[in-house]
Amino acid sequence: MPPPPPATAVAESLRPLTPARDSQANIDIMAPTKGFPWQYWLALGVAVLGVINLFGMIAYQTYVGLGVAGYQTPVFWGLYIITFVFWIGIGHAGTLISAILFLFRAKWRNAVNRCAEALTVFAVITAALFPLLHLGRIWKLYFLMPYPNQRGLWVNFKSPLLWDVFAISTYMSISIVFFYIGLIPDIAIARDRATGVKKILYTILALGWQGTGPQWKAHSRSILHLSGLATPLVLSVHSVVSWDFAMSLVPGWHATIFAPYFVAGAVFGGFAMVLNVLIPVRRIFGLERYLTAYHFENMSRFILLTSTICGYAYMAEYFIAWYSQVEPESTSFWLRAFGPYWFSTWCMITFNVIFPQLLWIKRLRTNLPFLFILGVFINIGMWFERYVIIITSLSREYITGAWGLYIPSPVELAILAGSFCWFSMWFLIFLKVFPVIAITEVKELVIHEKEHGGAH
Amino acid sequence: MPTLVSVFELPSNTASAVRKLRERGFDDLTTYSPAPFPELEEAEDPKPSKVRIFTLVGGLTGVVLGFLLQIWMSWEWPIKIAGKGYASIPPYSIVGFELTILLGGFFTFFGLLILGGLYPRPVDKHYDARFSAEDFGVVVRCDERDVAEVEQLMRSESAKEVSLVEA
Repeated sequence: MPPPPPATAVAESLRPLTPARDSQANIDIMAPTKGFPWQYWLALGVAVLGVINLFGMIAYQTYVGLGVAGYQTPVFWGLYIITFVFWIGIGHAGTLISAILFLFRAKWRNAVNRCAEALTVFAVITAALFPLLHLGRIWKLYFLMPYPNQRGLWVNFKSPLLWDVFAISTYMSISIVFFYIGLIPDIAIARDRATGVKKILYTILALGWQGTGPQWKAHSRSILHLSGLATPLVLSVHSVVSWDFAMSLVPGWHATIFAPYFVAGAVFGGFAMVLNVLIPVRRIFGLERYLTAYHFENMSRFILLTSTICGYAYMAEYFIAWYSQVEPESTSFWLRAFGPYWFSTWCMITFNVIFPQLLWIKRLRTNLPFLFILGVFINIGMWFERYVIIITSLSREYITGAWGLYIPSPVELAILAGSFCWFSMWFLIFLKVFPVIAITEVKELVIHEKEHGGAH
Repeated sequence: MPTLVSVFELPSNTASAVRKLRERGFDDLTTYSPAPFPELEEAEDPKPSKVRIFTLVGGLTGVVLGFLLQIWMSWEWPIKIAGKGYASIPPYSIVGFELTILLGGFFTFFGLLILGGLYPRPVDKHYDARFSAEDFGVVVRCDERDVAEVEQLMRSESAKEVSLVEA
């Protein structure tokens, strides 16, 4: 048998690695991180100005005191708690899409999960501002932490407010971990195509990702296990938030339906916000190939389902208030619809239950201008839902002599507007830095299709 | 040591090449894939990922720590609240649950970092940007006398390119 040829001779006969055309998915989805239209800078500028105003208002309130808010007897949970619950709710769609739909192997989530996860992280970061504002004395925040102090006094673990601290902190941490793990392979794609400072940033964040066998195996299993952990978490977070109310004896709050009612409402509002974000992103950055009518139809179905659950919960609340024959309860619900806050209640019912029923019409489920407008209305409706729950109940408790009216102050309204700017600022920065669609998940489908000749 | 870098277009061919390489005893290899493909992961290493151990340990640590934290603190400063015992287990299940998820999630993340060798660092010498496009790569380190065999095996599995990058 002749000896094998020397390696150098073989090398000469082999072709060297030659540069090849980049993947179309990489080119399309990374495009938004490269060039940006002037509208982007205008939007970012407005958001940053709003954030400056937000922190100015926070500084003003911190210096002057909580008196600048509209709190007055008997309403001491006002706009800050309403907005806190609103933003936590918005954050629910992301984890639902990432974790629960992942476990159900719903392939349509691949195109929308990145955006929804980013939305979750930024919504929770926004929500986290509000308990601090509501505290008034922000510097006393550490009282909520179970830390050893010189008095040997610990926090009350039987209080739902403390459960909330743990639930929100866990949700924020797990959402960030989930978001980052999903991003690592895509950051590596960006690293391989970036230059200068961006390359250094992506190299650090990509953590040496190369898509080797052990890396993908650990990555896939991590996503699976995190989905398993995040599924009960996403259902528990808004349940715990709802117990902030349901564990008390305030009329309109003390109800066992609160946990599922809040979770359904959160998913409903979250999907509406996903629509509000994805529709302009798709249009501005030309991602029509990746975000198709199929995706919007599926999201519309979720909205229709959760809207119906919300409608059922509203009816069940009114039915129980009547059926219980407990006067403060039935009075509270009567006043919700026909008392001084009737406007917020009817907004809630119209925007959250009546308008979404239009989605029974198939044509409207893929009509993007309609879906965008519907998303805006749903978000307004969901904000009013929390307004109704908190304000109407607190302002009309058991003793009629203690009834009062709550009107949000200009500072509170400015902080509410600022929260949208804060959220938008982070989202706009995200658009500039990271791919808005999970490229590797799209590529998985593309390669699968290549191999199986368009079976997908 | 001679190192051959092969480029493939499809995951099934890559997985088949890796399986054959391993059958012939070429274990010193690295694969690069633009997306996760279970057949490729299994061809390279059929054992299940150890991430699950990290998740389990994290979750158990969380639940034990969560309950111990609350029970100890309640006994450390005993106050009767709402007529319940100093350490009342049902309400403590909430913080216990949250810490189970929190530590389970963190440990899973650390498991990924450890098992995937992830830390801020430059890429391997033979890594190519095409492997983050749509191509698959297999890097094999072998003895000089085996170069021709490996090259032939790769080509028989429809490798687009085979290059000897280190002689």
